[in-house]
Amino acid sequence: MPREHKEYRSKARIYVDILACIMKHGGKSRPTRILYGANLSHDRLMRHLGQLIGLGLVEEEKQDDALIYKLTDKGRAFLIEFIKMEKFAEAFGITI
Amino acid sequence: MDLRLLTFLMEFVSSFISLLVGYYALKGYKEFSIKELFLLYLGFIILGIGTFLRVFSATYFVILLRALEPAPHLRSLINLAGLIYTLTQLIAYSLFTATYILQAKALGERSLELGIVSAGLFPIYGLFFNPSLELIAIVMLGFITVHSFSNWILKRSSGSALVFLGFGFMFLSHLLFLFMIVEPMFLFFGQVTQLAGFVCLLVMLARVSRVHA
Repeated sequence: MPREHKEYRSKARIYVDILACIMKHGGKSRPTRILYGANLSHDRLMRHLGQLIGLGLVEEEKQDDALIYKLTDKGRAFLIEFIKMEKFAEAFGITI
Repeated sequence: MDLRLLTFLMEFVSSFISLLVGYYALKGYKEFSIKELFLLYLGFIILGIGTFLRVFSATYFVILLRALEPAPHLRSLINLAGLIYTLTQLIAYSLFTATYILQAKALGERSLELGIVSAGLFPIYGLFFNPSLELIAIVMLGFITVHSFSNWILKRSSGSALVFLGFGFMFLSHLLFLFMIVEPMFLFFGQVTQLAGFVCLLVMLARVSRVHA
């Protein structure tokens, strides 16, 4: 019987998936879009978004009575640095 | 330019590049908690420091031998410095080998199959094996080169190709160093090849640093 393989995601990887999803939508996004893009449950997403706001990587804004999340300059820089490091690790055969 | 000076210069540049790659791996380990990069960081830092110490000690011994008569205790001191350098190299290569082994274990079955292919090729390098430390370094680098080749086959990226070329050139340089006993010029050829390997790693580093979002 084929064994189901569940891939473990590090905290940094989850943060990057969230940030990349916001970046993909022009630097700001609604939670529903991020939820699907980063493949997270609502509770986990809100917890991680709270941490990202605390780190200054994401900003929360109210637009037409709905919450949107914006990527900060610090968040953009973090994402770029991570992509660089991912390429560096991949060159040595290391999967992050 | 004096060929000996050129050899020292090439080795100095190699050590600098090694330290640079090590620093980049440390950055990844510290900033993003990528624990897989820790062994890579340690390996390149040890290799860089070892190479730098060899340049430093070799230069010192050349100056000393010009000023003093070649005494037996001085010769044994030079041998000891050479042994320390080779040991640092072996530690660094062991760390690179461990990185590839751990990564193969962490990944799925496809990578493990490639790992088995690499292990199958390992006895070929094992034929070279004898108690000499230089030969152990060749065996280790052979293993690392085969793994980096497997990674390049899987990823097909320019970065993985450059890492494969980097380790491949280092492997070749150690083979050339072996022939130094019959022809001293092989030391120079070996240093050129070693530098070519480190330059490949530097190009890889420059390429990944240019990534934009």
